[in-house]
Amino acid sequence: MSAFLGNPMVATAALPLLLGIVLALLAQFALVSPSPVLTLFWSALLLFFYGDTLGPPVIPPVAASQKLIYLAFAGIVLGLTAGRMRGGRSMAVPGAAALLAAFLWLGWRRLAGGTFDAQMAAALLVGLLVIAGGFMLLAQPASPSPSAEEPFLAPAAVLAVSLAGAIVSVLGASIVTAQLLGSIAALTGGWCLVQYFAVLRGGVANAWGRSLEFLALYAVSTALMQVALLAPKAHPVALVLSALPPLVAALVPGPLGGLVPSARPSRPLVAGLLIAAPAGLAMLVALIWAPHGAALGY
Amino acid sequence: MKARRIIAALAFAGTSALVSAAHADTYEIDGQHSWVTFTVKHGIYGTAHGLFDATSGTIVMDKADITKSSVKAEIEAGSIHTAFDQRDSDLKGPDFFNAAEFPKISFESTKVEKVDDKTGKVTGNLTISGVAKEVTLDVTLVNEAPAPWDATLTKAAFTATGKVSTADFPMAKAAAGFGLGPEIDIAIDLEAIKK
Repeated sequence: MSAFLGNPMVATAALPLLLGIVLALLAQFALVSPSPVLTLFWSALLLFFYGDTLGPPVIPPVAASQKLIYLAFAGIVLGLTAGRMRGGRSMAVPGAAALLAAFLWLGWRRLAGGTFDAQMAAALLVGLLVIAGGFMLLAQPASPSPSAEEPFLAPAAVLAVSLAGAIVSVLGASIVTAQLLGSIAALTGGWCLVQYFAVLRGGVANAWGRSLEFLALYAVSTALMQVALLAPKAHPVALVLSALPPLVAALVPGPLGGLVPSARPSRPLVAGLLIAAPAGLAMLVALIWAPHGAALGY
Repeated sequence: MKARRIIAALAFAGTSALVSAAHADTYEIDGQHSWVTFTVKHGIYGTAHGLFDATSGTIVMDKADITKSSVKAEIEAGSIHTAFDQRDSDLKGPDFFNAAEFPKISFESTKVEKVDDKTGKVTGNLTISGVAKEVTLDVTLVNEAPAPWDATLTKAAFTATGKVSTADFPMAKAAAGFGLGPEIDIAIDLEAIKK
């Protein structure tokens, strides 16, 4: 059993996908959405995958990779407390401030080093884009009669960032963070799959709620920042493209709304494809221009 | 009478310190003639070898009292190579030596013990990726002599061996995932120029 769970493909893909499906089924049939219980389940699973891929928390955290689990925990606490305290008000400002603080904490040694190269420029741009994207997405007012694609916007952004981030990371010589992002991608993918089936069957997709939207976005954004700051072979263009999905997701209800068809079952699919487009390009760029091809050095 | 004794004692202590300082020679590590190498078990198969190119630092050697000697050295983490470019970049990445965040690996001695005239044990803090761990190196003074081509240049050659564990540094998870280590054997050969 432990050998089965120790298999990276099981831990990174199969298990989180299955758990994402289970969470979505729970939300569909057993919980009122958005539910704090669901947020707690997601939080626990996120921390489990952080621990499984990065190892247990180290006190005090020194390297950026050791800080990620603390940032995830901070994101959970902030999501749960600020999400409740602020009620219907936007979490955009505290969310953007927390993302900026994370970028500075993860990257202060790189920033203090004073080296400004293509990777540093990409890291700064990634930081800026995830902060802007997070701010805009979290600033979206919840609609009293949500469209079919609205519950998918944040999950699709998280899925796209984590999937592209995982590919860019693994080809950029940061394998452990790639595994973590892969786990989150599979977890979110499982969730989205079940929710989309619900829409196809004429039902309604469950929304994440502001707390869960924030903590999931925060987790993938900080992991992507770490890759951008430290992975020596990560392609700068692929990194920047990986950071775009939250920004695109925020534009779907507005300027990009015209591209979403009126047929209800197609709306989440097209919105998802729009959100995933920069992530798809990121993966393509990373695969085509991988410094040593797509192989790893082990 | 008492004052004279105190003055005499102080004079003796001062002279002893000066004599001791006179015995302490300072050497600068010759990076061009230094090889910091390591071997690590690769899964259930063979043993992987690696080398760091860029080493610098200072050795203070007190021949009269070797315990007063000290070593301070730095290695560029990004200078690692293992005869395979792809693996080298992976080892420079955040999963292993994390060269972008921590460009230097450092060693600073805290204790030097004499074993015999040519060998000793140097204990100190080895810092990798911002995490310091105490290690002890078995050190041998191979030779010290003026250079045959320049009598004004004196060089000393040392070898050192020791062990560290991947589990002690922020590479534990990745190393375990790829079946590397956990024990790493270090073998250092270096030359140092007397100042």
